[in-house]
Amino acid sequence: MAFPHRLDAPELPDFSMLKRLARDQLIYLLEQQHEVDKLYKVENKPAVSSSEQLCFLVRPRIKNMRYVASLVNADKLAGRTRKYKVIFSPQKFHACEMVLEEEGVYGDVSCDEWAFSLLPLDVDLLSMELPEFFRDYFLEGDQRWINTVAQALHLLSTLYGPFPNCYGIGRCAKMSYELWRTLEEEEDGETKGRRPEIGHIFLLDRDVDFVTALCSQVVYEGLVDDTFRIKCGSVDFGPEVTSSDRSLKVLLNAEDKVFNEIRNEHFSNVFGFLSQKARNLQAQYDRRRGMDIKQMKNFVSQELKGLKQEHRLLSVHIGACESIMKKKTKQDFQELIKTEHALLEGFNIRESTSYIEEHIDRQVSPIESLRLMCLLSITENGLIPKDYRSLKTQYLQSYGPEHLLTFSNLRRAGLLTEQAPGDTLTAVESKVSKLVTDKAAGKITDAFSSLAKRSNFRAISKKLNLIPRVDGEYDLKVPRDMAYVFSGAYVPLSCRVIEQVLERRSWQGLDEVLRLLNCSVTKEDKASSESLRLILVVFLGGCTFSEISALRFLGREKGYRFIFLTTAVTNSARLMEAMSEVKA
Amino acid sequence: MRRLISACLCTGRKYELYSMDWDLKEELRDCLVAAAPYGGPIALLRNPWRKEKAASVRPVLEIYSASGLPLASLLWKSGPVVSLGWSAEEELLCVQEDGGVLVYGLHGDFRRHFSMGNEVLQNRVLDARIFHTEFGSGVAILTGAHRFTLSANVSDLKLRRMPEVPGLQGAPSCWTALCQDRVAHILLAVGPDLYLLDQSACSAVTPSGLAPGVSSFLQMAVSFTYRHLALFTDTGYIWMGTASLKEKLCEFNCNIRAPPKQMVWCSRPRSKERAVVVAWERRLMVVGDAPESIQFVLDEDSYLVPELDGVRIFSRSTHEFLHEVPVASEEIFKIASMAPGALLLEAQKEYEKESQKADEYLREIQELGQLTQAVQQCIEAAGHEHRPDMQKSLLRAASFGKCFLDRFPPDSFVRMCQDLRVLNAIRDYHIGIPLTYSQYKQLTIQVLLDRYSKPQDSGRRAVCGQASQPLLDSCGHCSSPVSLGSGRPELQAGVRLPSLSHLTLVPFTPSPARLVLRRLYPLAIQICEYLRLPEVQGVSRILAHWACYKVQQKDVSDEDVARAINQKLGDTPGVSYSDIAARAYGCGRTELAIKLLEYEPRSGEQVPLLLKMKRSKLALSKAIESGDTDLVFTVLLHLKNELNRGDFFMTLRNQPMALSLYRQFCKHQELETLKDLYNQDDNHQELGSFHIRASYAAEERIEGRVAALQTAADAFYKAKNEFAAKATEDQMRLLRLQRRLEDELGGRFLDLSLHDTVTTLILGGHNKRAEQLARDFRIPDKRLWWLKLTALADLEDWEELEKFSKSKKSPIGYLPFVEICMKQHNKYEAKKYASRVGPEQKVKALLLVGDVAQAADVAIEHRNEAELSLVLSHCTGATDGATADKIQRARAQAQKK
Repeated sequence: MAFPHRLDAPELPDFSMLKRLARDQLIYLLEQQHEVDKLYKVENKPAVSSSEQLCFLVRPRIKNMRYVASLVNADKLAGRTRKYKVIFSPQKFHACEMVLEEEGVYGDVSCDEWAFSLLPLDVDLLSMELPEFFRDYFLEGDQRWINTVAQALHLLSTLYGPFPNCYGIGRCAKMSYELWRTLEEEEDGETKGRRPEIGHIFLLDRDVDFVTALCSQVVYEGLVDDTFRIKCGSVDFGPEVTSSDRSLKVLLNAEDKVFNEIRNEHFSNVFGFLSQKARNLQAQYDRRRGMDIKQMKNFVSQELKGLKQEHRLLSVHIGACESIMKKKTKQDFQELIKTEHALLEGFNIRESTSYIEEHIDRQVSPIESLRLMCLLSITENGLIPKDYRSLKTQYLQSYGPEHLLTFSNLRRAGLLTEQAPGDTLTAVESKVSKLVTDKAAGKITDAFSSLAKRSNFRAISKKLNLIPRVDGEYDLKVPRDMAYVFSGAYVPLSCRVIEQVLERRSWQGLDEVLRLLNCSVTKEDKASSESLRLILVVFLGGCTFSEISALRFLGREKGYRFIFLTTAVTNSARLMEAMSEVKA
Repeated sequence: MRRLISACLCTGRKYELYSMDWDLKEELRDCLVAAAPYGGPIALLRNPWRKEKAASVRPVLEIYSASGLPLASLLWKSGPVVSLGWSAEEELLCVQEDGGVLVYGLHGDFRRHFSMGNEVLQNRVLDARIFHTEFGSGVAILTGAHRFTLSANVSDLKLRRMPEVPGLQGAPSCWTALCQDRVAHILLAVGPDLYLLDQSACSAVTPSGLAPGVSSFLQMAVSFTYRHLALFTDTGYIWMGTASLKEKLCEFNCNIRAPPKQMVWCSRPRSKERAVVVAWERRLMVVGDAPESIQFVLDEDSYLVPELDGVRIFSRSTHEFLHEVPVASEEIFKIASMAPGALLLEAQKEYEKESQKADEYLREIQELGQLTQAVQQCIEAAGHEHRPDMQKSLLRAASFGKCFLDRFPPDSFVRMCQDLRVLNAIRDYHIGIPLTYSQYKQLTIQVLLDRYSKPQDSGRRAVCGQASQPLLDSCGHCSSPVSLGSGRPELQAGVRLPSLSHLTLVPFTPSPARLVLRRLYPLAIQICEYLRLPEVQGVSRILAHWACYKVQQKDVSDEDVARAINQKLGDTPGVSYSDIAARAYGCGRTELAIKLLEYEPRSGEQVPLLLKMKRSKLALSKAIESGDTDLVFTVLLHLKNELNRGDFFMTLRNQPMALSLYRQFCKHQELETLKDLYNQDDNHQELGSFHIRASYAAEERIEGRVAALQTAADAFYKAKNEFAAKATEDQMRLLRLQRRLEDELGGRFLDLSLHDTVTTLILGGHNKRAEQLARDFRIPDKRLWWLKLTALADLEDWEELEKFSKSKKSPIGYLPFVEICMKQHNKYEAKKYASRVGPEQKVKALLLVGDVAQAADVAIEHRNEAELSLVLSHCTGATDGATADKIQRARAQAQKK
């Protein structure tokens, strides 16, 4: 369990600097400038505070602005005068000011920016905590956050030296890369001549690999996320886990020794490990029986605290495991996993389709059903028209007509599509191209291909060998490859691409894959520093814990260290929720 | 004329800077004269007091360099001028009688105009002074009503009217502006009394230790740094003391009662010596601590310019500098001086003559251990020499002495060589900036102050549209065209730097800025390159200034200007094409500005100017190129106000990125606009979605909701999305039906999904209705069975469930029945159905109801390995021991076969 890293693996950079930067700036904003004494959560209700000034720390969203404006206007009606301060994080958008202006409160409110974009969730995980990135970019086509990403990359490169090799897949990756380069060029000089620490950087669009994100997670950390939802690196374990009437907030990161050992493990190993651990713990407690007074004193003063701490953590995780087992080891879950694997392999499509249908009919879970439909669509390169219609009909009957919009969203994002009969799309394209100039035609083609992204999962899977051939049982205790994160059934596409590029030290030989991924590659610089084994992987639109686990595994095997930068940690449910229309 | 060559006295010396070449027709006394400090330009206003309209005798404003080279000449067409003065930025301020102040550039280009207020306008200006403070330059005005108005900084004009002086009948005999503790005051003399005016009060002051018998003060002078004050009384007595008047430094009685024409301080910073230069019509007197004064006879009408470390004196024919001899120079050049520097200089001279005396002198210095000091003295003295040959011989001496020192840090020597080379270059007759070494060093700091402390900077930068580029804060200096007969300053024209020696780097010098003001771009660039200033600070700034000047050449075509600028600038770091374009636009050359913007690599920088120039569509595409959504949005709002709705939408249509951005905004802020957008685009799909959303988000009444759905359905048909249209129509039907159900049965039905509606009906016992609904909406059998099964189990209506199970063959098999019964913990019922489960699922069913033994039998019968394992995994404890054995046996048997 928890294999040590190879000796030649590099040290991870110290992220505490980022924390310090962000913290100091916020403290400055809050204390020095606005003398804030208490923080409230922004909720859509009137603020109950007698304070003379209100300070809002918000994401730059129009909705938030309307809320602020309504508060100010309510105060005005009540004849109250207060000072209002809005601090935007990570940046202010012109549209927000517009809203304040249109609502007639622009003069009453002063604005500030808190340029906080990178939250270190763990020693190797940075999150921008922008879950809205996914919907904004991949659904609405809103590019506002790309600038933020570029800024974040710029910050990283100023702190940790330049990145000699850059690889990227996807349109968003390309834009971010270009914007970031511009930033670097504008401010060059600083990073020049600095020795690079991070050797490679990968930028990946989430829509390049939806499949991985849509699969049920079976690695412990992923499972915890799927089951209990990890928020900003911490999780609320309810009474069913803590076996008391209180819920418990637990930080999940490398600091937690127990968690650190099991986080990347396949769930089937976790319980065994935990019980072994419990026995060891007991043995250590038991040692005190034969002790004399002095030894006992030592034990109490030195070891007991650590043991108690470990004890506490152990009981938490055992509780979590039990709760997960209760939920997931039922027959339904086995069936679900079986169906997923069948979809990934492309076997028994009919059976899987009827399984999904039954899933919908039985109203098992709206999000789960949606996820399975999307998985089917992507692996099969779109649903055949008959299924497309019938599954949608079933879904609408189960969950209501507003999901017509959900389906329209999913179609636009390329998550749930209908197999195109023939080349209708290209026909339309060429027709349009004839009408407009060449330059515009390129753009339109781009727009089209993003509109109806054709997934070529099956072909890619074959090319990259994503479905490992299994001879006999896949030993989950001693994994052979990254497929272990999905019980040996599937190697995450995103991770496989990274592995391949690192192995070949370039895109060479991957042309076919890139063509199939239907995306652009950003420039790669000269591979000047092969020895740099620290790798930054940037997920635009979110990444899952399974992917993180898989790459951590790859790092241990090959002597790399990966650092993850994601717009947010995500999972299948979050993706589906981002696409769902809900009645307000 | 009489020429004074280096009149070397104990404390002061005077040397000639230039012999003036300006060919003046009038005497200086017939002109208004103003000369800028720091070797700045001289402005003359001829015929200032003529009132006739005849062109020949109209006042003429002329500007000359310190060496007398004409820079500008223009006919004065505005009102009568009372006073002239130069600001710290070398702008000429002309104070008119009506209180208006006209500001001109170095080349006679009109900059701006401001007024000193109504009070001044009414009472006319009697007298005015331009003074310099740490914030910039101020103007003080004495009005006809004998009141003072002042502004401490003309670039950030705040007028202050000073309090009245009690009992003041006539004009004060003399007055001056003082600057103490960052506040400007006025000191004035009325008869035997002195008054200090500050913002709020007028207080009488008495200089300490003033000789008795004074009935009037004729002249007063403040030192360059506002630290000292000199008063000249009608008794011919001069009081010198601190500006606070609290301390007397010295006094002098010159016995001349005639009021002097000018009186200025002549002292160097940090020097203990005090000296004041007093000028009469034909006499110049230097007085100080010493009982004797130094007197010069003036052949011509002369004008004194106080400088930081001395006084410039110019007349029609000559321009001289009078200053206190610096210590180092005095030590070396004093007659029969035995100072180490003097000896070293001597040694070097002897060495050149190849005389052994060189060794003797050197030995003498070394024996005293003063060689380091000697070298330092020579270096320092070189800095204070005006003539290059003197500088050279001193530096040579220093260099000679250095050879005999092991560890003499070279930088002071190297820096001095560089500084002198720069100084000599700008002192050149053609350039005409006679800066002394001390002024040069001081100016650096001042210019720096200038750049960071001036409040107007931000404003001006904003106009230029660039905050990160401090460069442009001085852009204003090189604007607007000038009619100057001579050739245009082009970059090719080179003024060579006199060569001096090898050398390296030095901190930033201000000279280039001053040079830029004089349009001496080539020299400025040479200096930057010579001093190896980083490009961004040096050459780039100069080039940008040049470009800003270049765009004003109206007779050159846009193409040529743009090309010339691009050729010269290329992509020099730190040069902002958008700034230059902004300047071009400022000169009314929009096309040129657009051409220049093409060279701007950062598209984000192009946008604000394009907007200003009303090229919004171009701005939009540039903004989109920049990838900065905020910029795009800014342009969008601009466009929205500028174009009519149709054109605006058409523009959006071609820019998907902008369109999606605007849609996002509309979704939250302007729903109606969103609809119009979709309409305009014939985007029926989105229009349909829009109405669907409206059907549950915006509409309350059922009729409204149905109507919204109808609109949506129509849109979907138009979008050829039959599926969505049908689904929408179904929803309309369902809504109406739910409404009816609510009316007839009570309870809540509205907004339930079809599935939930049917479930609710069954749970409510309305089986008939449920069946009807299922038929109407063609609910598939499978769903209906699942639905009924779940609902009946929830009701625990086992009887009905059994009836239902037998109504026909189950389309979902019977395993679900078992599962659901078990979920309700009804093993009895579950077993009923277990027997009916098909063979494939039989084992599972039996295991569910807990009949392991029978499950084992079935599995063995099926000879299915997976099933056997499954059963085995369910075998627990002793009870199932036999079964487990049985399975193992069967397995073994199977393997044998």
